[in-house]
Amino acid sequence: MADNPSQQLLEMWKRQVEEGTQAWLRLMGQAQAPTPAMDPQAFWRPFMDQGMAAWSKVMTQGAAPSPDLMAQWKQFLDQWIAAWSRVLEQAMGTDNFAQLMGKQLEGFLNVSGPVKKAAEQQIDASLAGLGIPSRGQVTALARHVAQVEEKIDALEDKVDRVLRRLNEPGAPRA
Amino acid sequence: MKDELFTMMGEMPAMSPELLARMRQEAERNLLRMKHFGEMVMNPKEPKVGPTPRQEIFRTNKSRLWRYESRRTIRTPLLFVPNLGISRPYIFDLMPKGSFVEHMTQQGFDFYLVDWGVFGEEDNGLTVEDAVTKLLPRLARKALESSGASEMSVLGYCMGAPLSASFVATHLDFPLKNYINMAGPIDFAHVGLFGKWLAPSVFDVDKYVDTLGSIPAEMVKMGFKLLKPTMDLSTNLNLWWNLWNPEYVSGFNALNKWANEYLPFPGEFFRQWVRDFYQQNKLIKGELVMAGRRVDLREIRCPVLAVGAKEDNIAPPACVKPLIDVVSTRDKEYVELPGGHISLIAGRGASVHCWPKVASWLAARS
Repeated sequence: MADNPSQQLLEMWKRQVEEGTQAWLRLMGQAQAPTPAMDPQAFWRPFMDQGMAAWSKVMTQGAAPSPDLMAQWKQFLDQWIAAWSRVLEQAMGTDNFAQLMGKQLEGFLNVSGPVKKAAEQQIDASLAGLGIPSRGQVTALARHVAQVEEKIDALEDKVDRVLRRLNEPGAPRA
Repeated sequence: MKDELFTMMGEMPAMSPELLARMRQEAERNLLRMKHFGEMVMNPKEPKVGPTPRQEIFRTNKSRLWRYESRRTIRTPLLFVPNLGISRPYIFDLMPKGSFVEHMTQQGFDFYLVDWGVFGEEDNGLTVEDAVTKLLPRLARKALESSGASEMSVLGYCMGAPLSASFVATHLDFPLKNYINMAGPIDFAHVGLFGKWLAPSVFDVDKYVDTLGSIPAEMVKMGFKLLKPTMDLSTNLNLWWNLWNPEYVSGFNALNKWANEYLPFPGEFFRQWVRDFYQQNKLIKGELVMAGRRVDLREIRCPVLAVGAKEDNIAPPACVKPLIDVVSTRDKEYVELPGGHISLIAGRGASVHCWPKVASWLAARS
């Protein structure tokens, strides 16, 4: 058992993380019954043990603070982020999450659709009153320009094809 | 308590010269971190991107074809087809010594880049089929004409791979010399989280497009950020750690600029992209029809290289590799390289692993 207050604090923190992990594990196990339950402890363990070792070294051996400590802290954070990333990736890969996200999006569309339409109608009416072309009219004009450009390109393609055929050996000459 | 803490720390050991030097180095780095942080906040500089000289060869609507300056010692030119929408293509020519384009041109490739452009509301009618059967053939032919070559290699990256594969498999008159799929999904049954989130049971693409018209850049950004929620955290942590290094900071600025410039999708393009590729997986099944022609990947008969990235969560290796199984050629190779979807082609790792591999594979066949 830890023999100084600092280590006791760390041990307590470690226990709390493990208990939290167990709770998380139970929650995920219930949420996705068909797939095997995850073991987030496997993610926590490497970086937590490493962090513990580094802190113990500093606290118990009285090592002077050094740049190594910074590097270890950075490594600790990297592993912590990587662990979270893996946990989140697994959680987001569940059918439950996909369904939840789909419902959220649908809810958003149900609200934003009518709001967008009403706002567009109001803006169009205001612009029409001022004699200014609406966004829809400008967009339609731009679409027409793009279509004209597309037709010119298509004509150019055809002319190119005809010219290529005429330049082929054995092609009829005028 | 205070005394107890001091006792706990024990006696401070004598410092070795080595440790002292390292502490001094760390202190200097901390000063540089503060200096660079101050510069980034108080006087942010717009990073210069796209350093390789280039010339616009052709332009149609929003799309452009670029030709990059090169010694052109390799006979067969290369057409690079990136994704449409999502992000800007300058990631492939991000900065000096950090550019795929620069590497390839230095190797002597006559390099052409398809820049799909930024589509607006007026382009909402553009479909995947339009991109594959109208835009891409035109851009490819212009590249071929500009190069004066009789054959051309095509490299599709990310979404550019299924688009360009569909193009070369349906335009058999196009003189294709080599084909490369770089981190491009082909079998959408193994496409990872996006495949799950865009499944027809949970994602109503028709409602989405009918309501929004186009897919706004913010929505695209949200989708990609959600794919890796810890990305910003680790990016910022790495920035803090390397903030003392001016080279890292300038690279970060350029990459960060790119990483936050998302592009919208034309509505009909998104509808067909999600429905035909993600939801119905028509490409690998051979059920995709474009302009009345079935897209049959077995029609790809030239040498093929497929490159997957081990950590890719956008196009996992399992959805990239299947191209190799369906093409009709004996000269085919699949390689799986370290990195993620972006770091496969951009960054220090890419310059060590990916660029030399692609360049040497192509050069031997060009």
